[in-house]
This record gives sequence, C-alpha cells and structure tokens, in this order.
Amino acid sequence: MSGDRWQQILREVTGVPGVRGALILSADDGLVVAESAMDALDTADVAALAAMLVSRAGRCAAAMGTAAPTAVHLTARHGALVAVAGPEPLWLAAVADHDAELGRLRLLLGDFAGAIG
Amino acid sequence: MTDIRDPGSPARAPGLAFLELGERLRQRGQLDAAATVALAGLAHYPTLADAHDLLGRIRVEQGQDAVAMAAWRAALECDVSHVGARKGLAYIAFRARDFATAEEHLELAVRAAPHDVTVLAALDRVRAARPVVEPPPIAETGATGFLLFDGQGMRLNGSVGPDAPEHLADAVAAEGASLAREGARVARLLSLGDVQHVVVESSDARVAIFPVAEGASLLVSRPAATPVGRLLALGQRASSAARDWLGRLG
Repeated sequence: MSGDRWQQILREVTGVPGVRGALILSADDGLVVAESAMDALDTADVAALAAMLVSRAGRCAAAMGTAAPTAVHLTARHGALVAVAGPEPLWLAAVADHDAELGRLRLLLGDFAGAIG
Repeated sequence: MTDIRDPGSPARAPGLAFLELGERLRQRGQLDAAATVALAGLAHYPTLADAHDLLGRIRVEQGQDAVAMAAWRAALECDVSHVGARKGLAYIAFRARDFATAEEHLELAVRAAPHDVTVLAALDRVRAARPVVEPPPIAETGATGFLLFDGQGMRLNGSVGPDAPEHLADAVAAEGASLAREGARVARLLSLGDVQHVVVESSDARVAIFPVAEGASLLVSRPAATPVGRLLALGQRASSAARDWLGRLG
C-alpha cells in the first residue's frame, strides 16, 4: 500500500471528533510506520506504549487459551487509546479525548486496519 | 506499660493507688463506687492511659458501651499502644459482630505486646468467629468467567470459566495483573488519567479488566459475540460486587 493511502486513512481517523492522533505502528518493535497527529501528541511514545500494551494483552490471551488479540482498548478518565490489528506486525492505533465517539472510532479502525497492509 | 490486671506488675507510685482500688471494686461488682474512684483519679491524672482504661472497663460492665468506648479512645490518645484500651475496643466491636474492627484492634495490641497470651488468644477467638466471606455474587451477572486478583497477580477469587482448572486461573491472574499494570503505566505516560477499563478483543473471546480497588483488578470474559457495551456493563456490575466483597474482607 502506498504512503498516500496510509495518510488518507489516518486523516479520516483523526477526523473523528475528539481524536488527538492516529498512527500505524509495528507491534514487533514499537516504532511508528505512519502518523497523523496534533503537535502535542508524541506518536513515538504512543507507538512504544501501544506495542507494549498489545504485547501484554497477547500474553493474557495466551494464558486464557484464546486467540491472539485483534483489538485492545484502554479507556481512562481523560481519554482513550484504541488499537486494532492489521496485517502482521502492523497495528492501527488512535488516541482520543474522553468525550470522543469511541464506538465510531472503534468501527473505523476496524474497517481500516485490514487495508493497511 | 503496666497492666493493673497483671498481679506481677511492679508496685505503683503511691498517688496511683486509686487504680488498684478501683479495679478491686470493679471485680467485686461495686461498679458505682469503682467509677467514683476512677473519675476522682482521672481528675488528678487526666493523661494517665491506665485510668481511662479502668473507667472503660467499669463502664462496659455497667452496660454503657458508648461511654466505655470514649474512655478507651481517650486512653489511646494518651498512649496509642495501650493494650487494655485496644482489648476493650476489640471486645465491644466483637460483641457488635464487627469482626474486622475487633481484629484490627487486637492486631495493634499484639504489635504492642507480642507475648501477651491473653491478646493472642483473643485474636484467635475473633478470627475463628469471623464468618467465611462468600464469593462475590458475580454469577448473578451472567459472566462466563470472572477473576479477581491483586496487584501482584495473586488470585483473590473466581476463575476464567466453570470448568477451568485453578492453575489456569492463577496463570491468567498473573498475566491480567501485568496487563492492568501496563494499562496504568500507559495511561499515566499519555496523561489519560485513571484507567477505567482495558478491553481485549479476539476472534473467540472478549475480555475486560477493571481496576476495583488499590492494586486489585477484576477480569471478565465473555464469548466474542458479546457486544462490547454489554461486556462493560456486566463488568461494572461485577466490579461493584467485587468491591463490596473486598470491603467485607477488611
């Protein structure tokens, strides 16, 4: 897939009200592959932290004997981090404010995640 | 610290003889006279913990629990490690079936007097009388699996399914706690505030982890067909039940 298409996807995700930034990351090493974010959001940090969270979620799923995670959502008092698996090892992630439309964001990330390979 | 009920206690200063007199009167059942002696002594020695303790023992025998508690609390203000006052407060709590408070007072008493066999015996009695806490009524919420664990990944209650072996639940508790810690770390570093939940979706299951108390978390699992909103509603109800259960543990 072209970088232009990735940027188009990321722009659509960040177009959801309340979304502060979106990125494609490599879960293997926690590095940013592509990004679209507000200045205040450090996407390198987000990528590293999201990769670690996905890794821990994978270990939890393995302990439970369930399939590997396809999505991980962290919801906190002031915001949320939503990550959805794309083609290995890519994940599409977004950071949103607490009042963002998380249901819509989750669906949008799910729709686009498969298209980022 | 001396204990007026201990015959082996060293001799008291002459001015404190009222303690022994008041105790003898109490033991003989002359409670009004004992109270008069204790109150007179307290007028001279208002910061003497033993005197407040004596008054507490008299008042509790007179059926004045609230006054007795006030006396023992006053004793603790004078001497926070006063064993008699702790025992007295534990006794009243025990009678009220407030076993957690009774145990707490006796544990503090044991800390102050670790070789006092009367305190150790009282602590044993309280612990033996304490009812076994029932597991939280999570089953009523319809969860396929629920698992409550502490911050170190030790399982507190529950399992990951009706037929799941305990060793599996222990392993999930360890990994669940690790995920909960990582979630808290991510939220802190991204300035997202306190974590409300972490949801993990896979092709065959949906799992949510909720912080329920200091370090403790609840994991709820459901089949993949369960809507995320329902999983969260279920988890919030189960978290409330888990908090109540942890509160009853003391």
